[in-house]
Amino acid sequence: MKQIIFALILISAVVFNFVSCKKKDGNVSTYNATNWGFKIPANFPLPNYTFENNAQTIDRFGLGRLLFYDNILSLNNKISCSSCHAPDHAFSDHNVALSAGIGGVLGTRNAPSLSNLAWYPAFMWDGGVNHIEVQPMVPLTSPTEMNETMANILAKLNANTNYKNLFKKAYDVDVITDQVLLQALAQFTSMLISADSKYDQYIAGTASFTDAEKTGLDIFRNKCAGCHTEPLFTNFSYENIGLDMVSVDLGRQLITQNPLDRGKFRVPSLRNVAKTYPYMHDGRFFTLSQVLDHHINGALNNGITDSTLLQLTPLTSAEKLDIIQFLNTLTDIQFMVDPSLADPTH
Amino acid sequence: MKKNQITFVLFLGLMVSQLTSCKKKTPTPAVVETGTVTINLNHKWGTANGSDFKLDTTLVQPDTGDSLNFTTLEYYVSNFKLKKSDGTWWVHPDSYFLVDLSNPGSLSLNLTNVPLGTYTDVNFTMGVDSLHNVSGAQGGALSTTNLMFWSWNSGYIMLKVEGISNNSQTGSFAFHLGGFSGADNIVTDKQISFSGSSLSVSSNHTSKVFLQVNPDWLWHSAPSVSVLNSIHVPGSDAKTMALGFFANNSITFDHIVE
Ligand code: HEC
Ligand code: HEC
Repeated sequence: MKQIIFALILISAVVFNFVSCKKKDGNVSTYNATNWGFKIPANFPLPNYTFENNAQTIDRFGLGRLLFYDNILSLNNKISCSSCHAPDHAFSDHNVALSAGIGGVLGTRNAPSLSNLAWYPAFMWDGGVNHIEVQPMVPLTSPTEMNETMANILAKLNANTNYKNLFKKAYDVDVITDQVLLQALAQFTSMLISADSKYDQYIAGTASFTDAEKTGLDIFRNKCAGCHTEPLFTNFSYENIGLDMVSVDLGRQLITQNPLDRGKFRVPSLRNVAKTYPYMHDGRFFTLSQVLDHHINGALNNGITDSTLLQLTPLTSAEKLDIIQFLNTLTDIQFMVDPSLADPTH
Repeated sequence: MKKNQITFVLFLGLMVSQLTSCKKKTPTPAVVETGTVTINLNHKWGTANGSDFKLDTTLVQPDTGDSLNFTTLEYYVSNFKLKKSDGTWWVHPDSYFLVDLSNPGSLSLNLTNVPLGTYTDVNFTMGVDSLHNVSGAQGGALSTTNLMFWSWNSGYIMLKVEGISNNSQTGSFAFHLGGFSGADNIVTDKQISFSGSSLSVSSNHTSKVFLQVNPDWLWHSAPSVSVLNSIHVPGSDAKTMALGFFANNSITFDHIVE
């Protein structure tokens, strides 16, 4: 109930923005202003990102969307955010374990699917980034990703008449700064909301599950939901699930400096998981069946491994199939083909 | 429940702010008379009234005996307040400054719109308060283009000191100090009294406070660069070194020019 009230307030605030600023902004692009805007799905909690100091407008969103798909943000002008976060893969990479940055240099971690980021308390597999607006600093400047400097990106954008005009319109600035660039990107990434899967429809009572899907959900709630908690399918904790006796990637330890955090990674959301293979922080498993064999039935006890995981009774092959049937219901096709989230230049 | 209320207030705020931002600019009310105060930082080295601190000059650290040739010294100071003679504080809004020894202009911090009156103390934060480390993209002195922001482990590098030294095994040293939460917090409040003098701020006039800053305090508790020559993460090493400078008597009142 409270959430519905909140959603109403939010929607009215956004609508109000349009009405009150319409004159100043001129055209309202191609969207239907009454339908467009950040909405909290019925079964979701309150978001973490509230557009504080970066009030949502359609011009800002449109600008963020253009930037997300634009190669101008990389050193050689050849890759964009979407190179590694493609809409048809639920904004993950094109089924590769490790992503290639500029010049084909490989990183060390699997590019996660991007959805429901406004609910995330922290970003990256190790949770090192604390805010959706500063997250792009990592890919923009990392040598294995876009390898740019902020100064050079701003020089390129400020030399581009189209971007100068768009930033002027969206943020009323004469010079494009890192602050408005990062805010514009957050206007887009916070709108990547996936909440219309068969699972969501089942919860809303508008779709029904097969027997296998129902059984899968029961087993899931029993064995997995402690970490992969509904409705976001992560509780945002950091866990070592015993993939290795000694983890090469220090994971959470890189951030906390605590040796007991070695090999701990943020519990990933499982939304659209059928489409985001390969799996795990380093993309080591290609199929969900492999994930279940190693993650649940084959977890190694390395001294840091989560103990509840080690105590789980192994899954039978029938249970595995049911879980996979259930995981398939988390696929949200609407999200992947949503025209308002697609490359605006295509 | 609490979160709901907070968010509610937030969105109410959003609506109100939209209202104000979109309405036609109304003429501003009568101007309140104010003055300007500059806080001028003179960097010294060694004992009180020691020699000037200069980049690209070899200086000997009195505690460790290291010979240090600095190429970079940059640090944040923020949240300036001035204490009035009646004991109340005037808070300068949004005051974030990056002091950069290679940029002489950055050594004089401009506090504008200071209400007229007499002041006895200045209070400020060494570093960047925790709120501004967790609130997303920032502008001004806090822009990421100053290269004082860690992207992979979000947070400001609050003090950066780099240079060359024969005492270091690699021939150089680089300390990037930050950390704003829990045990790693280095953000420190500093209050400096004008030692019985008072600062009077008058209309359309700039009054100047001169402070002495002694970066040799960085090695007050930190070991010689032969033992430790680089820090790039928050943690106990960063804290020891930063607090040596942030928390001790490293910044002292010198004089006032009205
Ligand atoms: C070269 C491939 C590549 C490019 C280009 C790239 N990313 Fe990523 N992205 C990754 C990888 C790999 C990770 C995981 C990194 C980690 O955890 O250390 C990631 C993580 C993220 C996350 C965190 C998701 C989570 O689950 O916490 C966000 C948000 C994100 N990227 C947005 C962007 C944006 C915005 C851009 C463009 C400015 C971008 N990415 C460009 C590969 C890429
Ligand atoms: C103790 C917490 C915990 C429990 C319980 C748990 N998981 Fe996980 N799961 C994780 C973590 C952490 C990862 C990421 C590990 C890594 O990459 O190193 C993960 C990864 C996954 C992945 C790969 C996702 C991706 O995008 O790479 C799938 C699929 C998955 N889990 C499914 C399940 C299922 C199904 C269950 C129940 C049978 C389950 N998990 C139980 C913590 C848990």
